[in-house]
Amino acid sequence: MAKIIVVTSGKGGVGKTTSSASIASGLALRGHKTAVVDFDVGLRNLDLIMGCERRVVYDLVNVINKEASLNQALIKDKHCDNLFVLPASQTRDKNALTEEGIERVLKDLAAMDFEYIVCDSPAGIEHGAVMALTFADEAIVVTNPEVSSVRDSDRILGIIQAKSRRAKDGGEPVKEHLLITRYVPKRVDAGEMLSHTDVQEILRIPLLGVIPESESVLHASNQGNPAIHLEGSDVAQAYQDMVARFLGEEVPMRYTTYEKPGLLKRIFGGK
Amino acid sequence: MSNTHLRKPIEIKISTVVAISVVLHQAELDILNAALERMTGGVPDYFDNEFAVVDVGPLMASTATFVVDWGALIALLRSYRINPVAVRNYPPEMEPEIIAHGLSLDVVLPSRPETPSPVAVESAPPAAAGTSNALIVDTPVRAGQRIYAQGSDLIVTAAVNNGAELIADGSIHIYAPLRGRALAGANGNSQARIFTLNMEAELVSIAGIYRTFEDQLPKEIAQRPAQIRLINESIEVTAMALSVR
Repeated sequence: MAKIIVVTSGKGGVGKTTSSASIASGLALRGHKTAVVDFDVGLRNLDLIMGCERRVVYDLVNVINKEASLNQALIKDKHCDNLFVLPASQTRDKNALTEEGIERVLKDLAAMDFEYIVCDSPAGIEHGAVMALTFADEAIVVTNPEVSSVRDSDRILGIIQAKSRRAKDGGEPVKEHLLITRYVPKRVDAGEMLSHTDVQEILRIPLLGVIPESESVLHASNQGNPAIHLEGSDVAQAYQDMVARFLGEEVPMRYTTYEKPGLLKRIFGGK
Repeated sequence: MSNTHLRKPIEIKISTVVAISVVLHQAELDILNAALERMTGGVPDYFDNEFAVVDVGPLMASTATFVVDWGALIALLRSYRINPVAVRNYPPEMEPEIIAHGLSLDVVLPSRPETPSPVAVESAPPAAAGTSNALIVDTPVRAGQRIYAQGSDLIVTAAVNNGAELIADGSIHIYAPLRGRALAGANGNSQARIFTLNMEAELVSIAGIYRTFEDQLPKEIAQRPAQIRLINESIEVTAMALSVR
């Protein structure tokens, strides 16, 4: 049975799409057949981050409206053979997403033996975001270590508890995970940024990972290359750790403490 | 998956609506207008079309016979973006006129005496009243969530986050941080109290009298166990010493 994961945050610009791309890639790299679906109808970005924007012919709304089959709309990832992207429509708006349509698409994906279906939610708490989380089995809540992002994540957690299909059917609740992105240990150390324990203190859901702030993420995104593929970078390793934890492995947290640069480093510079 | 998405054309559910109450001590429209003008300071959106229940009880108490120009009163309130929907504590002979102006009749049960007589305390210990039907919540109350304990106390064992709202007709007990809003004694019980193990509230209210905490809380209260009471029409926040033995 396919597991449906929603990547959501409430607030925009915190790294939902970047994280969706890396999580989906990470699951695929570990041999799981994975689909990543862009729910941000009207503002499609996932295809850019995945580097497949020039191969988009049909999209999610076409499939919902039965204008195209899933096989026609799914785009095979350039890195992983077992990863497929279902892009959003650029020309429609989020009202094109119907609950019945999405349920059918997700069922059809499950029937194609996808093990994981990653739903990249739009920002906000309106229709599009609600549609992305409605059928979720698990939720990864992406939060930046600052108060407004934490507040919005709190709000979206409440919406998951109220509006997801699992909540409405009264079954086992959606499993919630916290992913903190754009973390700068130095600024946390200086008291300028919330620490990951501060964030957890407020949201009170298990911490899945902490992704450090990095200039290389922007560079990777511009190149259409999910950050998890950045060989040897701290961001890629943090995402790999996070995927491992998601799959049940015990991995210690990295990149969460600030070490003062040593004397040599201070003399000879370096970032 | 089930087919719960098949929507019924109409659904009837119980729903609690929060309204403000407009308590009239005067029926003279000019006086009311001047008072509202002063209160709002000319800010056009001071009120936001909140539902309002017009309470004419004090009028009835002060004069045996009084006249309300309902049409003009409704127009006045609407001009301040207050949306009157019902009237309470009205004399029975006023009923047809109120209904004729499209307002509903709010029948209020006689309120409990605010200070119970010693006899009542002896015969019914306060604990018994509280334990009868308190609403207990064990999960975090998150931004945008609102929990209402109708006719009872509310007990929350998990954090109440910024942007969350607790409302109870009785007292509110929070065995965790209170970072959001807590409104106790929502039906007018001024004896209701609020307790929390970690006071970081945005707003607290008892029997409709509220206090916000824009300025930092005093050190002995902030992020510490606190109790909130209504004393002489004002909200008092006091530190609570927790003794475990």
